Formats: sequence, C-alpha cells, structure tokens
Amino acid sequence: MVAESQAAPDASPLLVMRGITKTFDRTRALGGADFELREGEIHGLLGANGAGKSTLSKVIAGHHAFEDGTMRYRGHDIRLRGTRDALRIGIGIVMQETSLVPDLSVLENIFLPELGRSGRLDRRAMRRSGEEILASLGQADSLPFDWEVRRLSSAQKQLVEIAKALGVRAKLLIFDEPTASLSPGEVERLFDVMSRLRASGRGLVFVSHRLEEVFAITDRVTVLREGRTVMAAKPTAELTQAELIRAMVGAELGGIYDRAETKPAVAAPVALEVEHLASAPAVRDVSFSVRKGEILGLGGLVGAGRSETVEAVFGLRPRTGGTVRLNGRPLKAESPKTAIRAGLGFVAEDRRTQNIVPDLSVKENLLLAHLGARRGFLCGYGAREKKVEELLAGLGLPQERLLDSSMLNFSGGMQQKIIIARWLLLDPSVLILDEPTKGVDIGTRAGIYQMLRDIAARGVAVVVVSSDFEELLGLSDRIVVMSDGRSIADLPSAMLDEEKLTLLAAPRTSMARNTELLNALAREHRGAGFWALIEDDRLICLNAVVADPAADPGFKAGEARAIGETRIPAALAQRAPIFVPEPSGGRTTLVVPITSPRGHDLGWVGLSLSSGEALPSPEAIRARIDTMAATL
Amino acid sequence: MASVPLENRPSGFRLKSLGRRLEVRMLLLALVIAVALSLLSPYFLTRANVFNMLDQSVVIGIVAVGMTFVILTGGIDLSVGSVAGLTGIILGLAVQQMPIPAAIAVAVAAGGGIGLVSGVLIAFFGLAPFVVTLGVMAIGRSLAYILSGQTAISNIPMGMQDIVYTNVFGVPSNVLFLVVLYALAWAYLTYTKGGRTIYAVGSNKEAARAAGLNTLFYSILPYVLSGALSAVAITFSISQLLSADPLMGNAMELDAIAAVVIGGASLYGGRGSMIGTLIGVFIMVMIRNGLNLMGVSPFWQGSAIGTIIILALLVERLLSARAAR
Repeated sequence: MVAESQAAPDASPLLVMRGITKTFDRTRALGGADFELREGEIHGLLGANGAGKSTLSKVIAGHHAFEDGTMRYRGHDIRLRGTRDALRIGIGIVMQETSLVPDLSVLENIFLPELGRSGRLDRRAMRRSGEEILASLGQADSLPFDWEVRRLSSAQKQLVEIAKALGVRAKLLIFDEPTASLSPGEVERLFDVMSRLRASGRGLVFVSHRLEEVFAITDRVTVLREGRTVMAAKPTAELTQAELIRAMVGAELGGIYDRAETKPAVAAPVALEVEHLASAPAVRDVSFSVRKGEILGLGGLVGAGRSETVEAVFGLRPRTGGTVRLNGRPLKAESPKTAIRAGLGFVAEDRRTQNIVPDLSVKENLLLAHLGARRGFLCGYGAREKKVEELLAGLGLPQERLLDSSMLNFSGGMQQKIIIARWLLLDPSVLILDEPTKGVDIGTRAGIYQMLRDIAARGVAVVVVSSDFEELLGLSDRIVVMSDGRSIADLPSAMLDEEKLTLLAAPRTSMARNTELLNALAREHRGAGFWALIEDDRLICLNAVVADPAADPGFKAGEARAIGETRIPAALAQRAPIFVPEPSGGRTTLVVPITSPRGHDLGWVGLSLSSGEALPSPEAIRARIDTMAATL
Repeated sequence: MASVPLENRPSGFRLKSLGRRLEVRMLLLALVIAVALSLLSPYFLTRANVFNMLDQSVVIGIVAVGMTFVILTGGIDLSVGSVAGLTGIILGLAVQQMPIPAAIAVAVAAGGGIGLVSGVLIAFFGLAPFVVTLGVMAIGRSLAYILSGQTAISNIPMGMQDIVYTNVFGVPSNVLFLVVLYALAWAYLTYTKGGRTIYAVGSNKEAARAAGLNTLFYSILPYVLSGALSAVAITFSISQLLSADPLMGNAMELDAIAAVVIGGASLYGGRGSMIGTLIGVFIMVMIRNGLNLMGVSPFWQGSAIGTIIILALLVERLLSARAAR
C-alpha cells in the first residue's frame, strides 16, 4: 500500500491485513479484505449490514481464525488461535457488554485475565493500577470498583471493557459499534477517552455505521462491501458523506430495490392505526398508520424503541398507554393470539430465538401460526393443505423438503421466506416484519424484497422495521422515524435520503443544545425558531420552537412541506443573510446555514418574527448559531 | 391431500426421522435384552414372569406418560414418587369413607391439584422445575407419613382387586388400561393442537408464543397430568397389594425419568415420543426383573439403573452432536 501523504512521520503500521477470507458454513463473510492500522490513529471500519465489518474485527481480535491471507502485527506475521493469543500480544476488543462477568466486581472484571494466572492476587496493587488506568483515561473515580458489573450502566460497562484491555497493556483496541446504546453525553465522553488513547500512541479501530460519528472521531476510513475492501484507508478529511455512502452501498446494489411502479396508496383504507402508543420504558409516544397495500418503514437508531413498539402492537410486550386500531376496530394487547386472530402477522427480529421451532418439521413450522390462530381441539392441518402447496410453489421449495428434520439446514434467506409464509397462510390484513433481512446474504435479499412487494400488492399493509436506512428507503412507500421512544417524523420515502434520515433519527437528547438555542432565540425575540433541511423547493423540519403563535412558520418538527405551502415562502426561497419580510406581510424571517465543525452541511436554522417585533442584528444571530454548531 | 402424488404424501406430522430411527434402535435393544435374559434365566419367559413384568410396567408406564409430557416441555418432575405415596394414603383413607370410584376420584384430583401448584410455580412464576418439584417431593413424602400415622393402611376393601384382576377379552384390565392410555397420549401429542403446542413449547417457547400458541396453559398442563397419573399408577399398586404404605412410590421418579430418557426424549425439551417411552418402560422393567432373577442384590440394582440412565444420555448427546454437524 502506498503510504498516505498526510501520515505523521512517526505513524508506523501497527497492523497490516491482506486478502483475508473467512467462510461460515456456505456463507462467505470475507472474500479478500485488506486493512491497515497505524499507531496513534482512529481508523473507521464501515460497511452496510452484512458487509463483513464485524467478522473482520473479530478476526483481528482472535475470535475467528481466517482462512487465506496474511496478518502482520508490529512487523511480524501472526496467526491467532483465540482471544487469549490476541490479548497476550496486545490486541483487545470492546464489545457490547459481552465479555464481562456480571456477578463479579468491577475490579475483578478489569483484571479478569489476571485471575487466570497462578499465584496470589494482590488486591491492593490491582486497585492501584485500576485507578491509574482510569486516571490515564481522564475518568478517575468514575467507576465504583466494588460494585458488581450488573449494576453498571452500558457506558460504565464499556469503560470497564476499555480498562480491562488496558490492564493487559493493549496496543490495538477495536471498538465494535460502541455508541449503539449510549446517550449523546456518554458518546462525547467515549470520544474523549478514545482521543486520549490515540494520543498515547495506540491504534484504534472504530466499527460503526453512523456516519456523523465517523466524521467526528476517525482519522482514516476503510469501507467493506460484501466481504471485500472497497475503500482502503482514505483520510476522513478528504471524504464527503455522499462518497462514503456510495462506497458502502455500491452502484450495483441499486437494482435490488427496483420497483415495478410506485403506486400512491392514498386512496386505500387505513389498515393499522397506532396512536400515542407507550410501553415503558422503551416506547414513550408513537403514532403511525398504514394503509392497505402500503409498505411503511419504521426507522431509527439502535435503542430508539422500534422493535419494542411493534412488539407492543402485537401483544408480546405490555402496553402502558395509547390505542391500536386494526381495520377500524380497537385491538387490545393481551397476547399475540388476540392480535393474530384479529388479522395481524409478525415476523420477529431474531429468527433463531423468536421464530424457528427447531424440533418441528419445516411443514409444522410453516403451520405454526395457523396452530396459534386455531380454536379447535385438533390441528386442522388438512384444511390448509392446498394453501401450503401454493405457498411452497411460490417459494421454490420442493414438497419433499417439507418434512425435513430441521429448518436450521436451510439458508438464512430460505428460513426467512418460510417464516414469512407462515403468516401468509393466515391471510393477514397487516404484516409486521422486524429486520426482515438480518443475517440474509445480499443475493437473497432481493427475493425477500420482491416477496414483500408482492404481499403489499395483494392489499396487505406491510410494516418493515429496519436499521438499514438504504433498505428502508428502497423498500418503503413511507417512513416513520423514531427516536428515543417517540415517532418524530412521517414522510414519503421519495423525499428522503440517507443523510436526511440520519439527521432525523439522531437521538432527541443530542439536539438538546440545538433546542436550547432555538428556545432562547424564540423567547428572547418573541418569535419562532426552527432547524430544517431545504432542497429545491421542499423543506424538512428537524426541530421547531414557537414562542409567539403569530410568528409560526407553518411547519412542525418532523414535517415536510413544499416551500410554497409554508407561511414564510419568500424567506425560505431567498435564504439571504438578512431578515426577509414576507410580501403577504405578517412575518419576517432570517435563515442561516449551519455547518458541522468538520464542514458538513447540516441544513438551515431560521428565526421568524411577527412583523411588529424589533429586528435583532443578523450578524449576532449568525454568531450564536455558529458557536452552537461548533459544539455539535 | 388428493392432489399429492403418493410417493410425496406426507406421512402425518411425525417427529424427526432421527427420532424414529432412535425408536427402532431402542426396540432392537429391548429385544436383545429380552433374548439375553431368556438365555440367562429359564424362568424369564414363563407366563407368570411375563405377567409380573406387565404388572410392573403398568405402574411405571402410567407415571412415565406424565413424565414424557413434562420432559417434552423442557421440564422435569421429581415429585411423582412422593405424590404417588401421598395420593395412595389419601386413597387408603378415603376408601374407608366412600365408594371406591369416589375415593379414586379424590386421590386423582389431589394428584392433579399438586401438579397444578407445581405447574403454576414453574410456568407462571418462572421458578426452576427441578427445584419446585424437589420441594414438592419432600413435602409430599412428609405429608404421606403424617396422614398415615407412619403405618401402612391395610384394611382396603377387596373390591379394589377388580381393578387389576378383571380380564377383558383375555387381557388383564390394568394392561389394557396401559395400552389405551399410551394410544390416547400418542394421538394427543401427534394430532391435536395441544400436543403440538407441547412440542413447540419445549423446542422454542418464545417462538411458540409469538405464533399465538397458549404457552402458559400448555406449560402447566403436563404437571397436572403428571400428578394425576401418579395417583392413577398408585391406585393399581394398592389394588394389587390391598395395602397403602407411606413409603410407596419411593424412587419411582428414577424409573420414570430413566424410561423417558432411554426412550429417546431430550431433557432440553421438544424431542421424544410415547412409543419411545413405552419401549423405555419395558427396558427398565426387564432390567430390574432380570437383575432380580439373577439374584443381584437390590443394593447393586441402583448402580445398574443409574449407569443405564447416564449411558443413555451420553449416547443421545453424541448422536445429536453428530446430527448438528
């Protein structure tokens, strides 16, 4: 590899991996991946779901042995036989709570590798070096050493994992989706810790699919797609978000989302209507509705409460508030059985633990929901015989494999199709699918998308939960975005792209500063403040605070409007650096662009005042917005 | 069904073909044991001994039906022996006060009631089946001693013997009862919604619930059945002996669990069959009988039975590990 010109002179390669391959059963997870990491850098490892980024990081950490390729670490060719090997030579991985022992104390967990060694444990020395490690991370006194790990928050557990890796003097640390369950404040603290680790000369791998974080913390980026490296060690500063997305998704993938025609489902009756649904603690206030024949995407980040929402709708999780209507009738959430009999189908997120019954034949797995919906004493399988045959013909599954001993012998894609068919057997009016392509290889995904589109075309209302924004955008007619347990936007997918979805899905709490500023602006100047994305003649509002109803710009957070439909069309069209009065009178508005510290376009912040108010200086407002943007 | 070509016709909703092969293997094992014992002891194949073994099979066999249901859901019932002892005493006392059928009904209801308590503690409150039934085992035996006043109840009416010693078409009524019970249990597990739900609960409870099956009810039902059938089993014992002893049913859980496991059921749930259990019962009874015929001390018999259970588990683990690969 050609050395990057920006490389600091002392930045020697810590790890070089070339042509790494790894196959699970028949699935090729890595097909020639390259990766290079220097000392003193944070290297982003990116890719769509199933691209192989987790597999590659587990290969580096010794969890998986690679098949072909070379791995050079600090100048030596190595082959790891396990995580112990990796730890011994200074490679550690920080995963989500997985490698900690919940019933041991924090201190014991940090020095867990020591417990495996013979000889006496010196608790006082352990405590001392534990304190030193935390101090070096700028987190002195932030962990109660004597508590059992089970009592800690996710962020604290992560800190224990980091300290544990440093306890064995790790030189290379892998962070596998470390921010997935953290609050924005905790993310900031984590980034501070990571920066300190970088400054101490360690090499860090940051696995993530949140682009804003990648831009915030990494020095270089490697992108994987379908098990191969498609972008090798590019300096982050030279990249744009669009380039990264293109590299992650790839041009050839565009085809799998092709749809025959986009049919507006506006006229069809509403099949499922969810209003102010709550299910403590994850779901706070979610509303959405789906029409017959429509595919609705439910998007958001990990921890936004999407799975919990659909589980509460289906009766798998107790509701604490709100109403659900199915075809106009209220649906009580006593149990899945009630929901199924009312005409709801649900493909849960985890195929192995929530969908497949391994000891029953394929045929009985297919008939499982039929059994659940049935009222009689006998199975009543015979009555479904014809429908089973029809469905199987559609799946391309030979009849003789029906009695196969185990579902587990099929590929993930076929398993998923059988699980979906389980619900089609009942002719549901609404089918909800949670992460329908999780663990399904990219080739088979197209088949599942086609299946879902066919189902919708037959008049079934389909709800798809996915954390893969590309999938959401490609598959759904409309997308409801969730954040922190609330539905915050409901927009046609044609109006959205991955960047806008990312901004909309950002945890509300991470908008705290922004909201604070909008609040301050609106209140001090007795008007309305908003933050919006503007493209051509359309606007998507990310946040809005109205202090004076007379200054209301005509849109709320999460809403999309044509500029002409708002109450401030002139100002939005001009976006001049001055207060622009509307020709129709009534309001005058300043619209200021907002940019992230790394120069990314984050849309526009506006201040609307009703005409009577005194106009503040535009420069002063702009300065305040820039100050706020610098902290984002 | 009509449109399916004959060779592709699904042969009912049977369990895995591996399970069926396992039953065939176990049947062969049973035959080998029978042949070996008939060679070792000339008395083994006599009419008297065969009927003796059938009588023993009835008692273990009835308990093993409930145990199969419990194990299919992934649970275990250690209390069957002491529930049999307690309900036997209840029967012995009740039969002094009321007609025989009513007394039997009281005993069976008591057994079912105890099973209901265990089942609710396990399925609704989520307690470990092992611990709950271990506790019930201790309580049951203790109550049996207290209710009986530590002595056997021997003034059982002669009429009880009719339960065992009536022949229907030349078949003893207790053996006929066993055959009918197994046929019903097999049909229930194979052809009814409840039976399939029991398999699904044992194999993947979460998936069963998400598919709308009533997992709570069908997790409790097997314990109720197990308790009630323990009382039925002890009724046959008492009918033969015309005596109810607080020690009755001692170590019965061992034989019942062994029979079910030898019959190919997985202790993790979801796998097993009535046919396998029946073969397992015969194997257990033949081995006990054979050890007696050969004059092996009762103290060594425990070691033999224990070794057989462990070997059966080991074989199952090795086979399923191979199947998984």
